[in-house]
Formats: sequence, structure tokens, C-alpha cells
Amino acid sequence: MELFAFVETIMNWAAQERALTALIIGLIGAAILSGVINVGAMAVVWLERKVLGDVQSRFGPNRTGSRWGILQLGADAIKLFTKEDIIPKGADKQVYVWAPIVASISTMLVAAAIPFGALRINGVDYPLVVANMDISAFYVEAVLSIMVVAAFMAGFSSYNKYSLLGAFRGMARMISYEVPMGVCVIGVALMAHSLNLVDIVESQVVWYAFAQPIGFVVFTIALITDLGRMPFDQSEAEEELVAGYVTEYGGIRWGLLYFQEYISMVLGSILLVLLFLGGWRGPSIPVITIFSPMIWFLMKVIIVLVFLVWLRASVMRFRIDQVTDLGWKWMLPLSLVNLAWAVLVGLYLA
Amino acid sequence: MVTASEVLSAIKSAFPGSVKEERVESDRRLWITVDPGKLLDMTKFLRDKHGFDHYSGAAGVDRIADNLFEVVEILTSHGAHQVVVLMKVKTPRDAPSVNSLTGLYWNANWYEREIWEMYGINFPGHPELYPLLLPDELVGAFPWRKDFKGYPDTSTGRRAVESVTSDGHTEFTIMPTDKEMEGGVFQRIKVPNFREREEMELGSDAEMIMHMGPQHAVVPGPFLLDLLLDGERVKRAFLDVGYIHKGIEKIMENRNWLQALVYTDRMCYMASISNNEAYCGAVEKLLGIVPTERAQYIRVILAELSRIQSHLLGTAEFLTLIASAIYSPFMYMIIDREDVVSLIESVTGARITHTFVRFGGVRNDLPPDFKEKTLPVLKMVKEKTLQYKDLLASDSIYKKRMVGVGVLTAEKAKNLGVSGPALRATNVAYDMRREDPHLVYPDLDFDVITRTAGDSAARVEVRLDEILESVKIIEQCLDRIPEGPIQEKLPKKIKPEPGEAYYRVEDPRGEMGFYVVSDGSDKPYRVKVRGPVYAYFQALPPLLEGAYIADVVAIAGSMDACTSEVDR
Repeated sequence: MELFAFVETIMNWAAQERALTALIIGLIGAAILSGVINVGAMAVVWLERKVLGDVQSRFGPNRTGSRWGILQLGADAIKLFTKEDIIPKGADKQVYVWAPIVASISTMLVAAAIPFGALRINGVDYPLVVANMDISAFYVEAVLSIMVVAAFMAGFSSYNKYSLLGAFRGMARMISYEVPMGVCVIGVALMAHSLNLVDIVESQVVWYAFAQPIGFVVFTIALITDLGRMPFDQSEAEEELVAGYVTEYGGIRWGLLYFQEYISMVLGSILLVLLFLGGWRGPSIPVITIFSPMIWFLMKVIIVLVFLVWLRASVMRFRIDQVTDLGWKWMLPLSLVNLAWAVLVGLYLA
Repeated sequence: MVTASEVLSAIKSAFPGSVKEERVESDRRLWITVDPGKLLDMTKFLRDKHGFDHYSGAAGVDRIADNLFEVVEILTSHGAHQVVVLMKVKTPRDAPSVNSLTGLYWNANWYEREIWEMYGINFPGHPELYPLLLPDELVGAFPWRKDFKGYPDTSTGRRAVESVTSDGHTEFTIMPTDKEMEGGVFQRIKVPNFREREEMELGSDAEMIMHMGPQHAVVPGPFLLDLLLDGERVKRAFLDVGYIHKGIEKIMENRNWLQALVYTDRMCYMASISNNEAYCGAVEKLLGIVPTERAQYIRVILAELSRIQSHLLGTAEFLTLIASAIYSPFMYMIIDREDVVSLIESVTGARITHTFVRFGGVRNDLPPDFKEKTLPVLKMVKEKTLQYKDLLASDSIYKKRMVGVGVLTAEKAKNLGVSGPALRATNVAYDMRREDPHLVYPDLDFDVITRTAGDSAARVEVRLDEILESVKIIEQCLDRIPEGPIQEKLPKKIKPEPGEAYYRVEDPRGEMGFYVVSDGSDKPYRVKVRGPVYAYFQALPPLLEGAYIADVVAIAGSMDACTSEVDR
């Protein structure tokens, strides 16, 4: 039984019984979901600080919360919450205030449709997903882009030239890379005969990273671009634009924008694992058979995350014209080649 | 080989009677005082006929006893010969005016602006006689004149006036009192300020002016770089310096010869040994002493060590500008530099401001185990530098970003007056250690590194290769350094004979010259610093035109700037 069906049954029941119950259950579900994502993102922030520290021959956080610095993020969060809330004088107040909220909502909406692993009971994998829709791959890709809208709102409303340029850069980047990214997802969907993420995972007898190597590479690059990670972090290039679109933000509003980047980093890594790296598929581990898909899944996600962090420490930033150049002249044609490849293989298999 | 006396006779035959005073100090130094009316013609003659294509700087001197101002134009050549001509022009104190050389040398611009605002000497023919270093309130006060009483006037005890601007901000300004205005202490000069000047250039609505600095993640110190943008492209760049101007040259006039040495450290913390060396060398010339041989070797060793650490930090900072502060090689270079700095510290006792070089010697001897401690560090530096060269040569993003960006041709570089690695990257082998031999450099075997491309990547390559050359120099010095005293005998009270001297060294960033005037007292009468970063900064705006915003930081970073030396 899928979790989705279970939730749906309860929801149906609740709808018949009483709307209030449904609301309460819905809220509880949302709270659990956001809790899981936020804890995950916090873990990633900690991971990034520690891994970067190791790569650069320094310690990273090592005072707050034992020598591993695990409470550092909590301390930072308390600091951000207690900071003065400043809205710049010339800012477009409504848009300025809403930008971080839109960013958070978009990541939550994505999280609702993404399976966070599975449990293996009697040899059958039961995915842990809130909303198991038929077009979840398409949905996730589309909603993930709302983040760029939020970034644009933030940059545009701040009344600051750095922010504005950062917002423009983010937009230009999104337009150049959403297309190849979408085409890669189509390639995967063609092979899986489905746009449902759970079905896509289950159809991966051979990882799509091996079945469609070009698509895998293009999707990875487009994903890094979408997340605004090095070498594609032009929209907040601190050496040029101070902090890009978040320049004028402070306190918890900045915290939300900063944090949603890490949330989307987690979600993006999960998406990559689901689409190309076989999701939670993997041999059963004795004794803890029930958790073995979960372990495979987490392992893959962590490897992707560490790869992203490692990349940040070791590559330089592209210039914005080079980014769009790469997107239109290389990524888009390559993704189309991959699509053709996927169609041919699909015909052969059919 | 052209010598100073040949140049002098050529000038005299071309302009009979125009040379008022003359002094051939050596084959490489010629001091002449010329007729103000003939200055332009004579400079043009020297530039066109005798290869004086390098305008090295200009200094103003207030000869209050003679009721005169002097402007000293320092002319030399980029390698055609090694003669430095110091051409003096005298102008009356009540209506000071000297013809501008900006028509002949583009880079005379800033030097003349500085003299104009500090001394009030007018430069007819100068295209933009605007304040450069002084704040707007002080323009017209001419603070470097010998009769300047200080400002704000200490007798009134007034510091600042608080006022509220039209858009609600509180501003603190130092306003001259009515008495000061009446008494002629101040002749308020009305010129458009920096903001007004740049807004005049603003064209259509599609353009905007973006400020980089004075507080910005990229700037190595407070200066303002305003970019007139058309989309992501820079149409024009404006540079405003002077935010931390300390008036070191004026302060040095009020300290005795030895005390003044301390201020040379503070000009650029990355090159304090070179700055010490340049000042001490000039004063030694005035005193007529030569440092002992051991001291010369020690000075060379330390100068090269500080060149290594400066280049390592310069490259590291440059990398953070095109990558990010998280880019790892930045941290690795800082770690390597740490060993070199510790080595310098073991000799001088200080990490960045050493005040180690003294007149006729150095402050203290090398520690006994210095050689044993240095050789492994040099080996490490050599290995690491080769690794960094490999890293940058194999990084395709780096090449995409840096190759062909910020290109200086040899012609343009000479015209803009840049020196050091930026000039050598354009295939001009111009290095003070060879051009103006001092200390034991003539005996040492090393190459002057050049590259042909002249772009940002070439500048960084030159720096990394120079680290290897410095390692070579230090190894030779460690082998050859003789035993002996480290300090030449000095008079009890340092009071050089009246006179003047000009001494140049190769700073990590380029040509560093000190022009020192003595009036026979125990204090310098005038010290003028010709710094390399000042020249770089002047050349920055034309270099940035047409670049992308991302390239602005890359180009500025590859120049390895040090603001505190500009705002000395």
C-alpha cells in the first residue's frame, strides 16, 4: 500500500466525517514534511561547512556543540531570528516581504511530490511520498523554477543595483537551462513510459545515468545551474555583486532565502538520484531489509551532495555570457541528441 | 650606451641657454633646472629624439625661503637606456603655474592633479584639474605648503558641523569659518565633485552607474570604482581614491630622518621591505655612504622573501575574485605564505611592518640557523608554485575567463605608465633590479620574466614565475653571503648635506622610487614617493572600458592593487 493511498483514504474519511479533522491531519502532514526537509537542509549546511573545511585544510565549525560543531547552525538560526528586521526605504514593500515566503512555499510544494526513499516489506518497495501524482517529474521541474521567480522578486524589489543585476542574471540563467533540463526529463520519461517519479525509479533496471549518459551529464549541469551553485552562482557573485539578489535582506528574511537554497539543493540531489541514479533500488541488506532502500537512497543523495560541495571548493565561476553561451550552444543541442537517442532506444525496446 | 652627460650635451646643443642648473650625479642620473617656457619643447625633444618614453612621476617642492615652488618631472626610458632625468621647473610662489605634460604623457594626469591640490600650482593645458586625493572641504587649503597651519584650525576647537540633507540623512562636514574665508586661508575652488562629473556622462535610460566601493567585497582597500553600465558591459569607469589618504609624505617632513622610516612601512604592508629599502637607499645617497656587503645581502634576501609572500597573497586574492572566497587554492597559498612570513618574522621580529632596513645596514643580523631553516621553505615554495602553475594552466574555466581579458599591448602599457608584472606581461623586460642596479643585484644570476600576451592570465603567470626567480636569488645569496659587520659607521646625528636624491627599487608591484630632499636639518625637507600602485590605479579606468562586470574584478585583481600605497 502506498503512503499516498493511505493518506487519501484518511482524507476521504475525514472529508466525510468532518472538514476540521481533515484540516488538522493535513496540517500535521505538512508539519512532518517541512520538518523532514528542514532537518535535511540543516544537515546539508553542516555537511557543507565541514567538507569545505576539510578540503581547504581548516577545521570548519568546531566550537559550538562539541568539536563537530553540530549546534553551530542552531546558534546561527537564533541569531537570525533575533536580528532587527530591516526593509530598505526605497523597496517595494509587498514584493520584498513576499519573496522569501514564495521561495519557501515553492520548495515545500516540490517536496510534497518527491519520494523520500522507500521501505522494503516482503520484497516490495513502498515509496514514502505525500502526493504521488502521475506527472510528478514534470510537476517537480516546473515548481522548482518558481524559486527563480522568488529570487527575481527579491532582487527587483530591493531597490538596489546589485540586487537587480543579480536578479537579471538569475533569470537569464534559468531561461537558458530550463529547456535542456526539461528535454532531459522527457528522455527519461520516454524510457520509463511514465512521468511518475515512483514509476521512473522502478523502471530503472539499468540506471538511466548509464542508459543516457549525455542526458545525465546535461541534466546534472543544468541542475547545478538551477540551484545556483558554483560554477554557476553568478546571481549572487559576491566578488562582483556583493550578495546579488539577497544584498538588501537581513535577519530571518535573509535566513529564509539562504535556507531555501539548501533545501532546493537537497531536493535537486534527490531528483538527480531518482531520475538517473536508480533512486532507492539496490540489493537488500540482511537484518535491516526493511530499511535497505532507504540506506541506498540516502547514500546516493549524500554522494551527490558531497559532489556539489566539492565542486564549490574547486572550480571557478563562469562569466554570465559564457553561461548562456554554454546553455544555448552546447546544453540544448546535446539534450536534443539525448532525446533522439532515447527515442531510438525506446523504439528498439518496443 | 647613453649616459647622463651625453643627454645633457644633447639638450644643451638643442636648447642653448635654457638649462639653468645642471648636475650629472652619475651615468644614470641627470639633474637639470630648466626654463619654464622651454619645458614642453624640451620634454618633447627628449621623448621623441632620445627615447624618454617613460614619465615616471612628478614631485612638487615648496622652497618657501626662495619664495618659489619647484616641480620635478622624472623622465626615463623603458629599456632604451638607463638615464633618469630629473627636470626641475621653478615657478613664483604668488602665481604658481607650470605647463602640463599631459599632452605628451597620458599618465602625467594624476601626478599633476596631486601637485595642484596639495601645492596650488596651476597646470595650464591639463584636461581635468579636479581634486584627486583631498576631500572636497580641503580643496583650496593646499595642505602640503610649508606655511599650512593645519585644518581644522586648532585654535577654534571646531571639528564638524552636523546638518540634515534634503533626503533626511545626517551629514557631518567640516566647514571653514567666515574668518578663514575672509583671511584668505581658504580660496574655495569651485569644481564639480566626483558624483557630478560622472553623472554628466550618463546617457540614456538604459545606462546606470554601479558603485564598487568604497566598501565592497572586492576592493582591497577603500576606493570607489564607479561603472557606467550598459547591461552587463562597462561603458566607462570612474575611479575615486583618497578615502584613507594619510599624508605620509607630509608627516615624514615633521619627523627626523630615522623616525620617518617607520612611515614607509605603512604605505603598503605587502612590500614594506622594498619601501624601507627605497627610502634608505635615497638617504644613503644623501649621506654618501654605502651599506656593508653583508647588509646588502641580507636586504636582498628579505626583499625577495617579501616578494614571494606578496606574489603568493596577490595571486591568492586574485583567485578569490574570479572564483569565490571558498575557492580552495586561495587557502593553500595563504598556508604556504605563512611559512615565508614566519621566516621573515624570525629575522625582523615583525610580520608585516618590519622597519628592518637602516641607513648603511640593517637592524639586526640573521639568526644563526637561518640557512637551515630557509632552504626547506624555498624547496616547498618552488614545488608548490610549480603545482599552482600546472593547476592554472590546466583549468579550462580559468583560461576561458582570463585569456584575452584585460589585454594591454606594450605600447598601451608604456603609455599608461604601468610597471612591474603588468608591464613585463606585455613583453617589456623592465625591472629596476636590472635597470637601476642597486645592492648586490648586478652580481646575481636571475632572469627578468616576460610574457607576450599582456592579458590577465599573463600577469599572473609572470608573478608565479617571479616567485621561482626569487627563490633562485635567495639560494645564491645564502651561498655567497659574507661574514662581517651589518652596519656601516654612521654620524652620531643624521643630518645629510643639503641636496637631493632619487632612488628606485623593484617593488613586488613595480617601480618604487623615492625622491628625497634635504635642507641640512635633521628632518627631511621633502619626500616624494613614486609608487607602482598609484600608476596602476590611474591606468585602471581605460583598461576597464568595454569589459563585463565579472571581468572588472578579474582585471583589477590581476593588477594586484594595494590601496594604502595610493592613499599614502
